[in-house]
Amino acid sequence: MDMVDNGIGVNKKRVPLIFLFSMAISLLSCSSSLQNEQLRFGIRAAQKDLWNEAIFRWQKVLRSSPNSAAAHNNLAVAYEKKGLLEEAKKEYEIALKLSPENTRIKSNYQSFKEYYSPVKKENDKEN
Amino acid sequence: MIKKISFAFLVVLALHFSCTSFDYQKINVELPGIATLDIDQFQEIVISDFLVEKETKDFDINQELIDSFSTELSKHFLGKISTKEMSWEEKDIFHKEDFWKSFVPDQEEALILTGSVQYSEEIRKAILEDHSSISERHYPTKKGLAQRKFYTLILNLYLIKAKTGEVFYTRDFKESKGYKNPKQTAIFAFFDLIETVKGKFLQNVVGKKKLAQRYLISE
Repeated sequence: MDMVDNGIGVNKKRVPLIFLFSMAISLLSCSSSLQNEQLRFGIRAAQKDLWNEAIFRWQKVLRSSPNSAAAHNNLAVAYEKKGLLEEAKKEYEIALKLSPENTRIKSNYQSFKEYYSPVKKENDKEN
Repeated sequence: MIKKISFAFLVVLALHFSCTSFDYQKINVELPGIATLDIDQFQEIVISDFLVEKETKDFDINQELIDSFSTELSKHFLGKISTKEMSWEEKDIFHKEDFWKSFVPDQEEALILTGSVQYSEEIRKAILEDHSSISERHYPTKKGLAQRKFYTLILNLYLIKAKTGEVFYTRDFKESKGYKNPKQTAIFAFFDLIETVKGKFLQNVVGKKKLAQRYLISE
């Protein structure tokens, strides 16, 4: 016997399955919100000038989500702040590779490149 | 039953989207300057006249550059800052070591700051149109002309060792800025642009810190 609801044609047996599937998707999204909480914690630390704490939080995000463009971008800003330019450049490039259309990351990287334009020394031209 | 399922589904959707929204925070960051040059090994910086490739109408750009760099360097450089006049009979002498070795012959431990400058003004126009839909328009379509004054400063800077005449540092700057105000004067625009140039120059030369804006992102 078909378990069909009134006039809609929905099989009642499948309804819980659909519901469970939707819940699973939401739980997955919300588990990434725990990492998002770490991202936000890092941002709050950075706003208070606690850059070592911010770096710790964002590195923590990357341990479980190595493809987090946000964490790579934020780490790049932190490394810039600390004068670690090679590390900053590396993180910006990874962030852009992961999220090439993100205008904020592009803006950060553009400003970074402009500010730290390499110094030309005449002697270097011969090397 | 259908209402309960729909409600539950909506709750699930809301949870899903609330967990995946993007957020950006703009933050002011004081960035450290990275001094890539050791200018403290020199006892003096001599600022020469600049090669002005295009004369400015309302002000003496050469003198403004000399005053600007003189003031700024004196805040960061421990040695003496001086100036020396120069006539630019030849334009392409930045790499002529013999010339620069004899420029300040009594000051072997000096660094010479020189360069070339171009400053230009242009007016850019754009047509404005009202793109609101016909149903939203209560007035006839507006068309107008927007006008901006754009100023561009091109400055090629050189630091040259007085003892050997060799170029110690060189960098090319090109800064532009547009202004809505039609009465914006060339000299005030120049002050805006030279501040940007000085910031970048000093960041390399003396490691001057700079306040910058960056975006921090949460997913």
